[in-house]
Amino acid sequence: MNSLFKAWGQHGHRQIYLHSGRHLLTPRSLLVHSGIARRLHSSPSLGEHDVQSRAGANNTSGISSSHILLLATSILSGIVGFAVASGLESSTSVKGGSSQDQQFGTPGDFKQAIEELRQAFPSSDAVSTDPEDLRTHGFSDYDYRPGRLHSVVFYPASTEDVVRMVKIATKYKMPVIPYSGATSLEGHIRSHAVGGICVDISGMDRILEIHGIPLFFPLDPAPGATIGGMLSTGCSGTNAVRYGTAKAEWFLNATVVLPSGEVIKTRRRSRKSSAGFDTTKLFIGAEGTLGIVTEVTIRLAPLLPTTVAVVQFPDLRKATEAVIEVMNQGVGIQCVEAVDDVFMAATNKFGMSARKWPEKDSLFLKFQGPTQASIQETAKIVKKIVEKHGATGFELARNAKEADDLWADRKNANYSGMALLEGAKGWGTDVCVPVSKLPELVYETKKDLAQIGITSTIVGHVGDGNFHALLLFRNEKEYRIAKEAVHRMVHRAIALDGTCTGEHGVGVGKKKYLVEELGAGTVELMKTIKRAIDPLGLFNPGKLYPDDDETDNKPGV
Amino acid sequence: MVLRLSLQRCLVHPVSALRRHMILTRPASTTPHSTPPGLLRYSPWSKEFLGSLKTRIFLQSAFYAVGIVTAAGLVDSYLFASRTELEEPVLHYASPQGTKLAIEELRATFPRANAVDTDADTLRTYGFSENSYHPASPHSVVVRPTCTSDVVKIVNISRKYRIPITPYSGATSLEGHTSGYPSGSICLDMSGMDQILQINEADSDLVCQSGARWEDINATLKEKGIPLFFPLDPGPGATIGGMIGTGCSGTNAVRYGTARAEWFLNLTAVLPNGEVIKTRRRARKSAAGFDTTKLFIGAEGTLGIVTEVTLRLTPVIPTKVAMAQFPDVEHAVSAVQEILNTPYGPHIQCVELLDDHMMEAINTAGLVDHPYPVEDTLFFKIQGDPTSIKSTSKAVQDIVKKHGSSRFEFASTDQEAEDLWQNRKYALMSTMAANPGTRCWTTDVCVPVSRLPQLVFETKKDLADSGIQSTIVGHVGDGNFHALILFRDDSELQGVSDAVHRLVHRAVALEGTCTGEHGVGVGKKEYLTDELGEGTVELMRVIKRAIDPLNLMNPGKLYPERRKPKAEEFNRPSA
Repeated sequence: MNSLFKAWGQHGHRQIYLHSGRHLLTPRSLLVHSGIARRLHSSPSLGEHDVQSRAGANNTSGISSSHILLLATSILSGIVGFAVASGLESSTSVKGGSSQDQQFGTPGDFKQAIEELRQAFPSSDAVSTDPEDLRTHGFSDYDYRPGRLHSVVFYPASTEDVVRMVKIATKYKMPVIPYSGATSLEGHIRSHAVGGICVDISGMDRILEIHGIPLFFPLDPAPGATIGGMLSTGCSGTNAVRYGTAKAEWFLNATVVLPSGEVIKTRRRSRKSSAGFDTTKLFIGAEGTLGIVTEVTIRLAPLLPTTVAVVQFPDLRKATEAVIEVMNQGVGIQCVEAVDDVFMAATNKFGMSARKWPEKDSLFLKFQGPTQASIQETAKIVKKIVEKHGATGFELARNAKEADDLWADRKNANYSGMALLEGAKGWGTDVCVPVSKLPELVYETKKDLAQIGITSTIVGHVGDGNFHALLLFRNEKEYRIAKEAVHRMVHRAIALDGTCTGEHGVGVGKKKYLVEELGAGTVELMKTIKRAIDPLGLFNPGKLYPDDDETDNKPGV
Repeated sequence: MVLRLSLQRCLVHPVSALRRHMILTRPASTTPHSTPPGLLRYSPWSKEFLGSLKTRIFLQSAFYAVGIVTAAGLVDSYLFASRTELEEPVLHYASPQGTKLAIEELRATFPRANAVDTDADTLRTYGFSENSYHPASPHSVVVRPTCTSDVVKIVNISRKYRIPITPYSGATSLEGHTSGYPSGSICLDMSGMDQILQINEADSDLVCQSGARWEDINATLKEKGIPLFFPLDPGPGATIGGMIGTGCSGTNAVRYGTARAEWFLNLTAVLPNGEVIKTRRRARKSAAGFDTTKLFIGAEGTLGIVTEVTLRLTPVIPTKVAMAQFPDVEHAVSAVQEILNTPYGPHIQCVELLDDHMMEAINTAGLVDHPYPVEDTLFFKIQGDPTSIKSTSKAVQDIVKKHGSSRFEFASTDQEAEDLWQNRKYALMSTMAANPGTRCWTTDVCVPVSRLPQLVFETKKDLADSGIQSTIVGHVGDGNFHALILFRDDSELQGVSDAVHRLVHRAVALEGTCTGEHGVGVGKKEYLTDELGEGTVELMRVIKRAIDPLNLMNPGKLYPERRKPKAEEFNRPSA
């Protein structure tokens, strides 16, 4: 009784059905198989004639024995059929990867889907298969992994358009890849191998309502980024040290078209709510794999006067130590950016800057405060601290124009970095570690890059422990060396309790590091949620979630 | 035509037709080909069947196989699919006998004294709450783990015997989050897991167990001379685990945001399947996919048990406390709105509204040296370096004056500032102390800040019309307010319950939420669909089912039932 009860307790009703069902079936299906084998073996010796005559004998002796034979055969074949069917089912559900091909529709289906899209949206510019359009949407200048063409580009004008598109995509099992600012660095918007619908939301750019005015939205990723993309990568930027990232409370709610075609609004407009876990957060950083965000309520912050200072340090370790102490003062720091000596050299070479900088590791600081007096006070405190840490040449902008000029030198990082090496392309990548670990990471990375002879500039949102490296390469060989260096850098960051990406997202470029960083359990939890929300796996397939057999030793796709 | 004929034959003489056709032998070539009887040639049951015996057997078997598979499929979907559709598969929880066995196993697993507690008083105290009046049940057993692996063992036992688990620690919940499940439940008392494991001053973060109290953490940091603190400040006594579970906030939220911001860098959770995950590493930010940490924030223990957490800390900044009286709530709120949108806004660490009833209660409770004016009042906590505090105070003073404030004064000493703030923090206690012999129903809602005056005005009017005594305190910078509604006996309870109901509907209609910081629990479930829409609630259920398919983690809380619940009886703990 006890053991029986335990068994019951362990499996429960549904589980018991499944498990025990399978346990019962397995031996039986084995039996059946062996039975078939025996019959097959025996039939050549008996010969067809024997069987026929015996069956004939049955017929003469009466109908009941043929009934029994018939019944037995049909039950047997029924069991075989069921076993085969359930075997198939379990194998497909266990390894979703192998059934990739059945997951999506055929090229014929896709053609029909495009046709149906055209019928649903007869206006000429909503659905495009223009080769040039497909090319610009499928290839990115920021991404050096090979691009692919989408099957079709769709330009929705409203949430309802997206819903209709999702229904068509679901009908024909066609992948859906959201697209807008196209500033992704990790291949988020690349087409899937089978093709798919690229949903270009950049036309849905109206501001619908504003509540309040001398305000701004403090998330500042790269120029050109759109709200949908910022939400989906979980972006941040230079302001993150003061205002936090997309994962903070800047997105009050989002209107999302789910893979089921259902439209949800994650919450209402109050600034805070403790009504359950916040489903808004589910879509932040989900890279379009859980739904397409069509409308968003963003929170704004008051606009404050700012000014900029630049200061040089003997090395980045000293600079980081200074930043930690400055941050713990609680003074008005809006941004604190570290740049290395190579970057300063590049800025000098780039020639956009009005001044010649000392080519040393430096900090760019943006102070904020309600009044000029309080900004000056902050500057005074900061100057004292950085000088304690060996800083030299502290230069505070004297007016707004000068502040803009100084900040422009930091903002031009990408262009000036490229100026270092004639005809080179740049691979921009980012990692993030606890702030105190940043000097070690930067030091090791610079040493590594110097050894392999790759030119690179380093700029870091040092207040967050986040840094970007821009690795320059001129040819295929250097590209491969750079790629390996990025690989080592990511491992180094994860080993220092950090992350493979501070703000660029996972896409296809970083998904192989996810298990190492988060652990198999957390990644499985993410996949569980993905499967629950998008059971057909049509939303931005191939991005974010590492494949089951994906190890970080395999080269990236 | 032929088809109809053969069908007719089968229909008219089904038995004889079957008999005739169910012959496995083929009458060979004797059948005259000249008169083909139509489609029967293709029926493997027919004498006229053209194929060999093997084909005949094969076709018949295939037919039956398809039939059996279809029938089995139908039976399967009929019997079992309906079960997964059920919102709460109550039937599958353990029987009292099973619960007894589970308790035995728990005792065997945790032999140390007090680890497994079934004392009737304890079960009752843990199952009911002094602070809420929602339906509740006692737990079956209270277990006190000391580490993550203890929690894994408990979760595994709960799953083995199908007994719901309800996490518990500070017991400050106001919405019945910690109440027991009617068919029996394991109460997981996390308050013993209160260790601070690591303080990384240079990274301004701290690793602790989830039973640690936020006040203890801040006290420890102060003691060690570390100039950092953890800024989430819910009710006194709350623990980190509970703060995550409810998605808490507090008076500091206007400056530092809530639990949903970036104060929890990562957490270690035991999932319903017994697996332990750490949601992320210690970097301050990460764009590595959607943040599973956020999934547990506000999940009220329904998706897993949080055991360890890395908190981000922030520098302690000098503050000054000030107070301003207003003719009414509307003036007070419009002043706050203007202040927060000026460049001085970021220097406001807290701004709290206390209505005239609350001020009176503080005076009556005798917690202050000299009585405050009985008017709608704002308490400000201004932070910054001395220069900023000075300039901000000046700006605040000008703005409140513009909005009709008659008085603006600073706390003259640090002690007074602290007392003033204490009075605000202990609003519940002062309210109770000022009205001896009453009980108090505390509730909170939150709306966009500009809607707050309307909400407060209508609510006060409604309460006055219903003859209900109450005090109101609000985190006015966030549009959040709490009503502390007083009643004496059960006859008044129904009126209070109705008033709360109207208050919540009013807030939701103003684009707000049914709860700003107290959570859903059992008390606010019924409003969730109204507030979030059926689609969003269903998404939450989909996630719940995917992570906890057996519905063992704190069932009955958070997720509203699909059917409209019947009028619930309000059981109360016996005082």
